[in-house]
Amino acid sequence: MAKTVSSKTLRNSFNQWFFWNGCSQQAESMLGLAFGQSMAPVIEELYDSKEDKAAALKRHITLFNTESQVGSVCNGIAIGMEEQLANGLGTPESIQEAKVALIGPTSAIGDSLWVATIIPLLLTICLTLSQSMTNAPWIGPVLYMAVYPLGTYLLSWAIFRTGYKAGLEGVQQFMASGQLDKIMEAVTILGLIVVGGLTASFVNANLNLDIKTATQVFDAATQTYTDGVISVFNLDNLLNSVFPKIVPLALTLLVYNLYAKKNWKPIAIMGLILVLAIVVTAIGFIPGIGAFR
Amino acid sequence: MSVLQMILIALFVYLGAIGSIVGNSIGWYCLGRPLVASFVVGLIMGDVQTAMLVGVPLQIAYLANVTPGGAVAWDLSFATYIGTATALALKGTVDSTPALIGLAFTGAGLGGVVGGTMWGIHYSLDVFLNRWAERLADQGETRKMWMPNLLGGQAIGFLTRFVPAFAVLAAISAAGTSSGLNIPGWFITGISTFGSMMAALGMGIILSFLVKKGVHWAIFLAGFVLVTYFGLNTMAIAIVGAIVAFIVYAIGNRQEAL
Repeated sequence: MAKTVSSKTLRNSFNQWFFWNGCSQQAESMLGLAFGQSMAPVIEELYDSKEDKAAALKRHITLFNTESQVGSVCNGIAIGMEEQLANGLGTPESIQEAKVALIGPTSAIGDSLWVATIIPLLLTICLTLSQSMTNAPWIGPVLYMAVYPLGTYLLSWAIFRTGYKAGLEGVQQFMASGQLDKIMEAVTILGLIVVGGLTASFVNANLNLDIKTATQVFDAATQTYTDGVISVFNLDNLLNSVFPKIVPLALTLLVYNLYAKKNWKPIAIMGLILVLAIVVTAIGFIPGIGAFR
Repeated sequence: MSVLQMILIALFVYLGAIGSIVGNSIGWYCLGRPLVASFVVGLIMGDVQTAMLVGVPLQIAYLANVTPGGAVAWDLSFATYIGTATALALKGTVDSTPALIGLAFTGAGLGGVVGGTMWGIHYSLDVFLNRWAERLADQGETRKMWMPNLLGGQAIGFLTRFVPAFAVLAAISAAGTSSGLNIPGWFITGISTFGSMMAALGMGIILSFLVKKGVHWAIFLAGFVLVTYFGLNTMAIAIVGAIVAFIVYAIGNRQEAL
């Protein structure tokens, strides 16, 4: 009789992956140990001899990495192939090759679609809710806490089962169909419009240069001229009349350039923002030409 | 902050870090996000309203703090929990929302440095777990395979998150209760400016994930001017964006059908 993995074991394996995929992440095998842990119940069910179990376990603690939530498709595929191997189909090497081949595409899809687009979008919607409902700002985090973990669990489980049922070829066919690219492009456009709006709404930066001159100021109350100062050149007002919020936009593009083109680390960019904040604050306090004096 | 509050917040710093016992979808991607973290700190310290005032800007600044390609910038949960706790513990010393946000970013920066160091230590120590797993695999011990990953990983994870987080919180709490603490006005102005500029960090890095061709810059600018020239709020922009995205998707499908 052909050996199959029971649905209970599938769920068990998935749960161990979903909850504990990140426990022992390190540079040597990345998520390899977590992958091995999630494969252990499957291996226990499929193989009888100690030698077979040892060989199978050793296959699955080697280097493995993916975006773990969307990447659960790899676990499904690996279980399907392990099941075939237990029934005498395929080779141990083909399982290893399939896993290695899946690292790149599943990481790319998971990182760009899920982690870098869907999560920020969902967070943006929730934080907007918090901001607009000033009497109940808890609504945003509560909604996110309810929707994100549950939605991700269901999605990740569906992807896991798809991998198990469709197998390597089925999944590769879907990835090559181009449907994913179209979804990706649509979600990217949504993301870009929202990020544009967030940049204009939330990034604030002023150059604080406001050159003043001592002069006679007309006082309407007493109908007399008294000594005072008037602004002769306010750089921020001038720039904003050309293109509103151009300084925050320029700062954002500077961050983009440093991160994307110059490979600066976020913590280094944060340091630079701190330095810039100190500089513009200092300008603001210079008597005569600062906006605060 | 009371000792119990510090213990609870330090516990959440651990739960919201990468690879905690509740899993990354509940931990790192939910409890670790600034929006959720500030809410939790608000609950623990009994002031959700103030906590959310700093939570929203923190979330925007760290919106891009995700893990593309496994590259972790720093332990986000250290930054967000400690940032919000700093603002709440020291809120009596300042009198404006920008200043409060500035305090949160100052605390978040401090927490981020500690967190980055701790992540490095965690990542290095975990390598030894490979030897344990290899030994178990050699013996075909399927029933013990959870131990190196879960038991070993959690022990290292808990020690490198809970203990330093508690220490930092204790220091901040001590600063908050010391009677002589008088923050000068220029410093408040400086950190307020820093806080309002930090949103550019999140936006700039998110753009590097999203922009793939020239036309994407035009779409980004469209969202920008919808605020500056048309005065739309963020929710309105999200709805406009969803409509445009759907139309683009529909056109893409139609071109293929023709």
